[in-house]
Amino acid sequence: MADATPAGDTMFEHAACALLMTSADGLILRANATACSWLGYSEEELVGQVRLRDLLPVGARLFFNTHCQPILQVQGSVAEIQVDVRNRAKERTPMLINIVRHREDDAIVDHWALFKASDRRAYERELLAARKAAEAAETELKKLNAQLSAADRRKDEFLATLSHELRNPLAPMRSALDVFKLRSARAGDDRLLQIFDRQLRHMTRLVDDLMEVSRITQGRMQLQRAPVELSALVRSAAQDMADTMKAARHSLRLFVEDGPIMVDGDATRLAQVVINLLTNAAKYTPDGGMIELHLASRSGTAEIRVRDNGIGIPVPALATVFEMFSQLESALDRAKGGLGIGLALVRGIVGLHDGSIRAESEGLQQGSTFIVSLPLSADAVCPAEAVPLEIVPRPLRVMVVDDNQDAAETLAMALELFACEVVVAYSGAQALELVRVADPALALLDIGLPDMNGYELARRLRQLPGGGARTLIATTGWGQQKDRERAFDAGFDHHLTKPIDFELIKPLLSKAGAS
Amino acid sequence: MVFAHGFGCDQTMWRFLSPAYEERFRTIAFDLVGSGGSDLSAYRRDKYDSLHGYADDLLDVIDEFANGPVVFVGHSVSTMIGMLATIKAPQKFSAQIMVGPSPCYINDGDYIGGFTREDIDELLETMEANYLGWSSSLAPAIMGVPDRPELRTELTNSFCRNDPDIAKHFARTTFLSDHRKDVPLSTVPALILQCSDDMVAPLSVGEFLHRNMPASTLHIIENVGHCPHMSAPTESSRAIDSFLAGALR
Repeated sequence: MADATPAGDTMFEHAACALLMTSADGLILRANATACSWLGYSEEELVGQVRLRDLLPVGARLFFNTHCQPILQVQGSVAEIQVDVRNRAKERTPMLINIVRHREDDAIVDHWALFKASDRRAYERELLAARKAAEAAETELKKLNAQLSAADRRKDEFLATLSHELRNPLAPMRSALDVFKLRSARAGDDRLLQIFDRQLRHMTRLVDDLMEVSRITQGRMQLQRAPVELSALVRSAAQDMADTMKAARHSLRLFVEDGPIMVDGDATRLAQVVINLLTNAAKYTPDGGMIELHLASRSGTAEIRVRDNGIGIPVPALATVFEMFSQLESALDRAKGGLGIGLALVRGIVGLHDGSIRAESEGLQQGSTFIVSLPLSADAVCPAEAVPLEIVPRPLRVMVVDDNQDAAETLAMALELFACEVVVAYSGAQALELVRVADPALALLDIGLPDMNGYELARRLRQLPGGGARTLIATTGWGQQKDRERAFDAGFDHHLTKPIDFELIKPLLSKAGAS
Repeated sequence: MVFAHGFGCDQTMWRFLSPAYEERFRTIAFDLVGSGGSDLSAYRRDKYDSLHGYADDLLDVIDEFANGPVVFVGHSVSTMIGMLATIKAPQKFSAQIMVGPSPCYINDGDYIGGFTREDIDELLETMEANYLGWSSSLAPAIMGVPDRPELRTELTNSFCRNDPDIAKHFARTTFLSDHRKDVPLSTVPALILQCSDDMVAPLSVGEFLHRNMPASTLHIIENVGHCPHMSAPTESSRAIDSFLAGALR
């Protein structure tokens, strides 16, 4: 220091940072006045006495040894190390440290510069705390999301099971009612039965909707795709709705572009879409309303538009109207009944067809418009209409196999009304015995039998002498494509979903009778 | 000869020592998974929750690159990784060099590891404070060191700049590990290379190891710090050579 100019000396001694020089092992060789003042030692107490790293608290010293020392050794410098430094009174001050290593003569020395960093550290602590809080919140959110998804999945599973279980008792009720209807047709008054019939149809439709919507949410619905001509489909759906419209004194107007307007789709499902939209319009329009059904095609898209002048939709609800059960949220709508799944089902079916649906309304009491867009099929070919065969059923021997006694017997009674001779078995074993005696031309087999499943029974029936010629029909609550395929693999000719629609059985009876 | 680096760094730290062995051995230095240039996506918290995960990796490295038994050189935490590996597969090792080893860093009754649990928490906090600004700030002063021109390339290699979250997890695994019970099970000849003044692994720890390890030699190097292979490479290799002369006969 003796050879330093006074100005240089002042700059060194009173620099705005603590400057120190140490040997390679950290022993302090020089310290400026700022360093002495910040650290609380006199120069004599520091130089040759204290190793700088000893001024660091243990954790910081550990960090220095494991992280900084190797870098200093390899690179010859370290910058912006942030550690607490303890002064003589053991008070901690956060400091930023830069070190540069030099070779001076034969010795290695380190030049240190220390900067106070209390504010910076305080600020960083806040940042870290904020980050930790954000991370904790994110973790919590993820957990809640996972719980919600699990609950949603359980709900979907429950709905699938519920709708399936609800269908089972509907099947024998349907058959029993059909029997009553045919009988009372001869007797005369059937008003009570008509009520029963309407309500049962309604309930069956609700359960079917529920089942289908839960199939869509679980990704289990499969479309039977084929070229579909929409103008005929839309007209026919409107025809089906005529009674409903008439009952509410609505006038339904059709604006249907002349066909062919071809899409690649499932005709049954697309009809369901139109019927659901029309039902919806009829339901939410006061009696005597005006309902319009439009069909048009433009630039590769078919557009079905159902418009009413009914109660309308409040603008905030337009986005959620297609959510399942959304209708239940509104007390206004509750009086109208229903599960609030019709539109969810429509959206699901439209989605499966790669189409889109949206709702428009100016607000309450302003009417609503629902617009479905479907991609037109590229190679639009109109298939020839299948001409239904009308063959009068001849007496036919039929075997019914079902372990549900009610279901078996009502089905048998219904078949008898179609002039069939019916035998009934309640198990697979019984059926195998009975078939030898009765030799039926047609057999309706339940799949869920107690002793063997219907597939197995079908296989065995086919193996019996003359078993190849017999018409075998599977009857089951499960109507998915894979169930059908499994049935056909087992040797069934047809697959019917419960509750059985007699309109579907009739032609099968005729066909079996004809052969 | 296989070199494994210690906590806080990467294989670069062997640059002063390993060249001395390139003539006599095939030398292999590697980065522990999660450190240096390793594939960070291979870092699985469950696997590296204990040092056994790293020991399994070491055995894989030996199987892949070595023909016959190796001399293992580990620094700091890697000495324990190596020791666990010698217990799992002693036949794969002819000797182990332990530079600054410690089987347990936390004081426990009569055992003096050198640290308390609070010290380790303070280390974690210091690491956190430093990683905040570390992405670009390490060693910019390098430009002012004309006598070390080779350092420029080092900068682009991000020397010892490890992923903050992994580094913290590794710090916990390292400093909260306790392998004192495993020490007597390692029978591969061991050189314990201890510094005379090392706050990370105090002399008492070296003595504990020597007492409990059946085939061990304790050598103390006059050196301040935890990295004798960097600050005193000549002395370190001299000690290693004389040990290997006996061990590899």
